Amino acid sequence: MKNKSLLRGICLLACTLSGAGAAFAHHSTAAEFDSTKPVTFTGTVQKVMWMNPHIYTHIEVKQPDGATFVYHVEGGPPNSLFRQGWRKDTLKVGAVVTVSGWRAKNPDSPNVGQATISAADGKKLFSGDGPAKAAE
Amino acid sequence: MPKGATTVRALAWAIALQCSAAFAWAATPAENFPRMANGKPDLSGHWSNPYTPDMAVQGKVLDPATRKPLELSRAPLPDAKASAAGSAARTLDLPYTDWGLKHWKSYDPVNDGDYAGSCLPFGMSRNINSPHGVQFVHNPASIAMLFEQNTWFHWVPLAGQKWPEDIPPSWNGVSTGHWDGDMLVVETTGFNGYTRLDTAGHPHSRQLKLTNTFRRIDARTMEHTVIVHDPKTYTRDWMNVRTWKLKPAADVVMEYSCEENNLGNLFSGAIKPWKPPENEDEE
Repeated sequence: MKNKSLLRGICLLACTLSGAGAAFAHHSTAAEFDSTKPVTFTGTVQKVMWMNPHIYTHIEVKQPDGATFVYHVEGGPPNSLFRQGWRKDTLKVGAVVTVSGWRAKNPDSPNVGQATISAADGKKLFSGDGPAKAAE
Repeated sequence: MPKGATTVRALAWAIALQCSAAFAWAATPAENFPRMANGKPDLSGHWSNPYTPDMAVQGKVLDPATRKPLELSRAPLPDAKASAAGSAARTLDLPYTDWGLKHWKSYDPVNDGDYAGSCLPFGMSRNINSPHGVQFVHNPASIAMLFEQNTWFHWVPLAGQKWPEDIPPSWNGVSTGHWDGDMLVVETTGFNGYTRLDTAGHPHSRQLKLTNTFRRIDARTMEHTVIVHDPKTYTRDWMNVRTWKLKPAADVVMEYSCEENNLGNLFSGAIKPWKPPENEDEE
């Protein structure tokens, strides 16, 4: 049951992230994210920032040197996600996920956009064209 | 008259009446939407307005007189800035004037400042084009449009109330409404010229006049049209026609604060803050 709940959370996160992948956003994706800087990482969900116009999921990743880095993965607009059944606590803190996306143009930014997500076992849960709506 | 003939005549009348009633039923559309005390359709409700980031999609730009697609060149514009919505390069997709074309080719919110990303008002056109719903609160004297997008509102007087003649130009303009039969017609002018018609960045000037119409089709459906009249930007008027649907009763309009995350993005530089143009006359 717990696993089912986790899977549902991950699936919903996939939908959430698909909002980040929407071609149209009222702040341009091209403005913030760099398609030439793809990034893939596996980490644990640290927290979900339930905010407009996009939610951000903080994912903590262990680096080769043992340090940790927290990525901020941009998602869809919270009102649209709410209507799809998503809640702030649907994806539990500690869930293990793998994310692929674009790093921000600003090298100091932890933000990741245009993201896709997979379960920790490698099963791809999100193909990049999910149903979540754009923020504008 | 023989009894048989009377019976036949009565039967003929009965059939005629039945046919007449059936014809009347077929000719009268099933009107199952509410009306207000003044007899006009009640447009109240939480409406799902189709997200329209690009009003100039091929086949959707119509002649207001015929409602047929305008013939547009759609030639590439190699000297235009990168698209602000999607990956398709800009084309001659609307009947631009020279001024309009200049502002279409040069729109660059990434590098020149993003008014929408700065959470400034999107403008009447872009509010209606946004992907979130709009709640209409309607009475005989006025209609209030409560846009979920950034929790903006727009009030439209319907009973002849006048706006001050010297009211300053504004992001969303000022509207007045009137009825054309059962169709509500909302005319909006008084724009400050800082906004764009849609996410793609189709331009307009301060001369813009938007004419939006709203006509209920049935209990859950409304036809929405918009005519863009802006002789400084476009050589002729053009039109979009869309279908709105009422949202389910449980789907309520919610708060939307653009600033929550975008303030951080503005401070970090991920979104370039918008500034008003130095030469206002250009707008």
